[in-house]
Parts: sequence; structure tokens; C-alpha cells
Amino acid sequence: MLNNNKVIAMILAGGKGTRLEALTKKTAKPAVSFAAKYRIIDFPLSNCANSGINVVGVLTQYESTELDSYIGNGEKWGLNGVHCLMNTLAPRQTEEGANWYKGTADAIAQNIDFIDNANPEFVVILSGDHIYKTSYADMIRLHETSKADVTISVIEVDPKEASRFGIMAVDKNDRIVEFQEKPKVPKSNLASMGVYVFSWKTLRKYLKRDSKDEKSEHDFGKNIIPAMLEDKCKLMAYRFKGYWRDVGTLSSLHEANMDIALDKMELNLYEQDTGNRIYTQDTYSVPQYIGKQGHITRSIANQGAIVLGDVDSCVISTGVTIESTCKLTRCVVMENAHIKKGARIHNAIIAPGVTVEGDAKINVGNDEVVLIA
Amino acid sequence: MRRVIGICDLHNEPSLGGLTEKRPLGAVTFLGRYGLIDFTLSNFSNSHIDRVYVLVKKGIVALRRHIGSGSIWTNNTRLGFIELLINEKGLRHPAFNTDINNIKDNVPVDELDFDYAVIAPSYYLSSMDFRPIIEKHIASGAEISSVYVHVDNADSDYLRADKYKLNDDKVVKSSLNLLKSKEADISLDTYIVSKKALRKIISDGTKVSELFSIKDMINYYINEALMEVNGVKFEGYVVPILNLRNYVNHSFDLLNYHIRSQLFLEDWPIYTTTHNTPPALYGKDADVQNSFVANGAIIKGKVHNCIISRDVVVEKGAELKNCIIFTQTQIGKDTKLEYVLSDKNASIKEVKRITGTPDDVVYIKVGVKV
Repeated sequence: MLNNNKVIAMILAGGKGTRLEALTKKTAKPAVSFAAKYRIIDFPLSNCANSGINVVGVLTQYESTELDSYIGNGEKWGLNGVHCLMNTLAPRQTEEGANWYKGTADAIAQNIDFIDNANPEFVVILSGDHIYKTSYADMIRLHETSKADVTISVIEVDPKEASRFGIMAVDKNDRIVEFQEKPKVPKSNLASMGVYVFSWKTLRKYLKRDSKDEKSEHDFGKNIIPAMLEDKCKLMAYRFKGYWRDVGTLSSLHEANMDIALDKMELNLYEQDTGNRIYTQDTYSVPQYIGKQGHITRSIANQGAIVLGDVDSCVISTGVTIESTCKLTRCVVMENAHIKKGARIHNAIIAPGVTVEGDAKINVGNDEVVLIA
Repeated sequence: MRRVIGICDLHNEPSLGGLTEKRPLGAVTFLGRYGLIDFTLSNFSNSHIDRVYVLVKKGIVALRRHIGSGSIWTNNTRLGFIELLINEKGLRHPAFNTDINNIKDNVPVDELDFDYAVIAPSYYLSSMDFRPIIEKHIASGAEISSVYVHVDNADSDYLRADKYKLNDDKVVKSSLNLLKSKEADISLDTYIVSKKALRKIISDGTKVSELFSIKDMINYYINEALMEVNGVKFEGYVVPILNLRNYVNHSFDLLNYHIRSQLFLEDWPIYTTTHNTPPALYGKDADVQNSFVANGAIIKGKVHNCIISRDVVVEKGAELKNCIIFTQTQIGKDTKLEYVLSDKNASIKEVKRITGTPDDVVYIKVGVKV
């Protein structure tokens, strides 16, 4: 545990998430619900809390109000303590004018004052839309002991898939020697997770320089990291072991939900150790009820759900009602959705609050995931 | 706005056998998710009574663990509070450990800024809006009002509850309900008292009998016709938890949606402490019917007509029928339980069959490993 504010975290949570279609029409991607009870951003925020990181800035832009009120003072993740500071940082008007965040690096650059106030040695940059459980402590330790300028968390991917990612080529000490963005011929199978530990002094310098560069896209992957490589800064790779998913598309969101429902236990949400849990908002709903003709297998269901029908391989969120004689397979049913009698649904994400009419037959026999919104 | 304080009185709680051996009734788990006290605290909260004293007789540790800072029930966390109070002198002399002495020791009645106090116990569960009741109390002109309910099952439930005789809205007699008649007006031990009346109860209590509780004093006023006590009828649904049998039967009754929807109203949330537990997980051979399942539970076996609390594990091949299983209990492979009430942290793995009956539910103590 890192029990001082030598380290702060900044979470990038401003993206629109267009590939999630109607799910992000009125909701920022990090606020999309996950695994019956959580929202995606609970994962990086809980990871911060469990890593002993007390100061967290969340960069918001798209549909920021809902995300702002969800994050609040950070109490849901325990980040409201005496040494804590939890701040959502939406674009604002300043002496220099008013600007939207033009890229991931620009979002941080526009909040240099916030970071300067916290005066950290290291800044952890995280993405608000990844599902994984970790403590950042080991990565920060590696960063510190290797005296790196930036340490990038990488995960081994299938070499065949490597061309979909930002790939890091490393030397025998895991020092990064080359960065390839979605390469045709990948030089390694180490993909960047978009999780960085920067030494603040160095990052500050590069952000300042980047913000003056009119040709820059102001993006960490495209601009900051390549610039640092070019200058022969020390970039280290931290090899992440474990479950990690980017849930930026409907099918990846569906698949990650299924991983939990089918009890693959790659991402264990059921650990009893309180320092290793994922924290979230709890709702004041009545207990979850499974009915007399209900049938639920290979699924997860949250409190406040009522299951009167037949459910297999599903994720059932708070306040969901599944009426009798329904048959749902491989469905992610988001909060307060209502599935009326006799409906048959397969391989679907059912958006919050949606009512599916009785006897509807949706996507049965189809392998493609559909969104019902 | 009326200036009202809430007093949740845990001094006169009945015993639920093993369930209340180490904890007050208010801290006993209900429906796998609540503490019994949640109903009264939520009624205060939803009625916008934000200053609440909980008079604790024993087991303050379990209660404090459940209530925490109290902020989940409090509207404004600067102005409102939930304070847990114990009568320290009473700990040495249990007979004098009364609610009146607890208030006398701990509540600055004279200095407190309020016009009315609502006094309510933990053992009658309901969704009760105190605001219209307070208005009726004021309209009656009485210094004390008592909330009662008209029931038609006084011959089975409500054993040793206070049975009222009313003359118009005035309570004229209070006696113990001994299950003799079906219909009765039963006191919910829920009182609206003016500041003046609360002061009087405290000072009279000391003079009449040091052993008397608030409830005893109000019954004394009624039966001796010393003070007018106005009766306010509650029309909502009430779940009495006066003994273990009540607790078990009503828990199972509430599995029925039509009964449940009378206790839980849409616009009347019952707040409770939460524990960051993940959603309930069902395995591929899970067979669950007519049951409540709390978060964190992992169900791989058969569960019919049961109430399963937080973080309970039911392994493959286990069969549970008509059981109430408390937090963090583990039910091992191929274990078959019927009419079992298992308290927290038990582990039932070696014994493969425990069978009770509807009238004689087998109770398994906290932390027992069998």
C-alpha cells in the first residue's frame, strides 16, 4: 500500500463511446452498467482505493453531469477520507479561454494546476472504461526502482490479434524500445493497456511542449509516448498478469459480462478480503426474489431483481423484472428493464429501463449480440 | 414544519431465543438483507424526522456495526443524527436498565429544540408515515397519542402485545393479548408525545416505579385514567416480531408477492447498511424457487422456499427447503436441510441431513461447524 500522496491518479472518462450505440446516447461510457451491479468506472476507482491512492481526478466531458453526480465526493469508493481528494474535472473556462479537451493528453494538460496543487512525484493515468482488478502498487514500485520516466502496463495478447493494439517492443530488461500503433507486422505481443505511471516533472514538461504543437493530436499513445521515445527517455513495460478487458464495443461488453455470469472466475468479484473488492453504489431495493416457476442457472443477479421466468447465462441487474414463461439466454439485462410474459431473447444487451413486450422473440438462434434499447 | 425528534426504543424488545442472545432484536437479520431496526429508522427518515436517538439496552456492538455513522438514514448529515445511547448505570443494575433511565441519563430533553417526540420500537415492522399521525395527534389535543392497529389474527399472532379498548378515539384500557379472540385493537407501542408529556413520563416514572418503562407508564396513565391517551389507528400492514415463531412465519409469508407488496411500498424505501457484496451467483446446476437471495451468495445446489443472506455458499448437491440462512453460512456438498434457521458464519458440511418441522425449526448457533 502506498499510504501517502506521492502518487495521484487521473482517470480519462470523457469519451463518447460511440461503439456502444444507444447505451451511451445519454450516458458517458464509464457510467455504463456492468455485471448487474457495477458501473464500468467502479473498476479503476476501486483499484485506486485498493492501491492506497488517495487523490483521484476524473476527466469528464461527454454527458458529464450523470458521471459527476455518480462520482460525487468519492464516498462510494471510500475516497472521501481525511487525506483524500476526489474531483471530477470537466473542461472549464480559464484566463486563457475555454476549450474542450482535444485529446487524452490535452485533458491532463488543461489540469496541470490541479496536479501541481497535489504536488505528487508520480501520476498514474488510467482509462475509465477498462474492466480489471489490480493494485497499482507493484507497477509504481517498478517505476520507482527502475528510475523510469514512464512505465506502461502491458498485457500479452495473441500474436494474431496484436495488430489491433498499440504494441510495445522491449529489450531484455523490459525497457521499451519501440512503440507501434496497430502495426501490420507487430514486433512483440505486448499490448499497451492505456495504464501509465509518469514521473510528474517529466510528464509536465512533455504536456507543455505538446500543447504548443499545433500538429499534435494531443494523445498519449500517438504523441506523448512517441515523443518521449524519440528523446531517449526511459520507458519501462510492466507486465500485467490477469483479467483485463476493454469494453468499448457491444460485443466486448457482452462478452465481459458473460465471463462473470459463467463463473469463469478470471475476475473474482467474490473475494472476502475487503481490500480486494470492487466498490459501487448500493441501491435501497427489496431483496432479490426468484419465483415459484422461476429458474436461474449460470447467471448473476443483483438485489431488487425479480425472476419469475427461465434464465440461463444471464446478467440480471437491480430492479429488473422477468415475468413468468420468459426464456432468456446469454442476455445482459440492465437496471429496471422489464421483460413481459413469454418473451424469448438470446444474445442481447437490454438497455436500462426498457420494456420488452410479452411473447416477443428477439435474436433467437443468432450468434451476433443485439442491443435492445 | 413540526419540530420532531425520533426515539427508537430497544429496551422492551422480546426475546427471539438464540437470535437475540448476543444482539438486540433490532440487529437481527431479516429477509436476508435487513436488520429489523431498519424499518423504524427508515420510517423516521422517510417521515423527515432527522434527529433520532436509539435507546439500546444491550448488545450495542452488533447494533453499532449495523448502523455505522447512521448517515444512510439521515437526510442532512450536519443537522441530523442517529445517536446510540446506553444507560451506563443500568448495566450494573439490570433491573433499572429502563428506557426512562436511559433518556434521563442521555437525552437533554429540556434543552433540545422540539415540540413532539415519536417513540417507536423495533419489533413491529411497517411502512409508517409519522407525519399524518403527528397531525392527528395535534388535532386531538391530547398530550400523548398511541398508534394501534386493528387485527383479525390476535388469536395467533401478537401474543402478550398490549390490547386496547377504545372509546371513540380515547384509549380507555390496556391489557395483555392472550390469544383469546381473533379481532382486537393492538397497540404498536408507538407513541407521539409532546415535550411536556415526555418530561412528565420521566419525572413520574421515577416516582411511580424505578422499574417502569415508557410503555408501562403510558399503560398506567390509561388504566388509572390519569391522563388522556389518544388512539391513532394505523391502516397499513404490520409484521409483528414478538417471538421466534412470528419471526419464522412472517419471513416465509413475505415470500408471497401480495403480502410483500403490502409491507414494502413503492415510494417508501427501507434503507439498510450495505457491504459491497457482488451480485448473487448461480451455478449451472442451481435449482432455486420461491426464495430471497441476497448479494454475495453463491448458489450451486437446490434452494426452495428459502431466505438466503449475504455471502452464503450453497454447494453442489446441497438441498435446502424452507430454511432461513444467515450471513456467511456455508452449506456443504450433498447436505440436506429442511426447516433450519442457521445463524451467522455457521458451516454445515459434515452433517448431511438436518430436518425440522414448521412448528419446530432447528436453530443453528452463530459460527457452529457441523
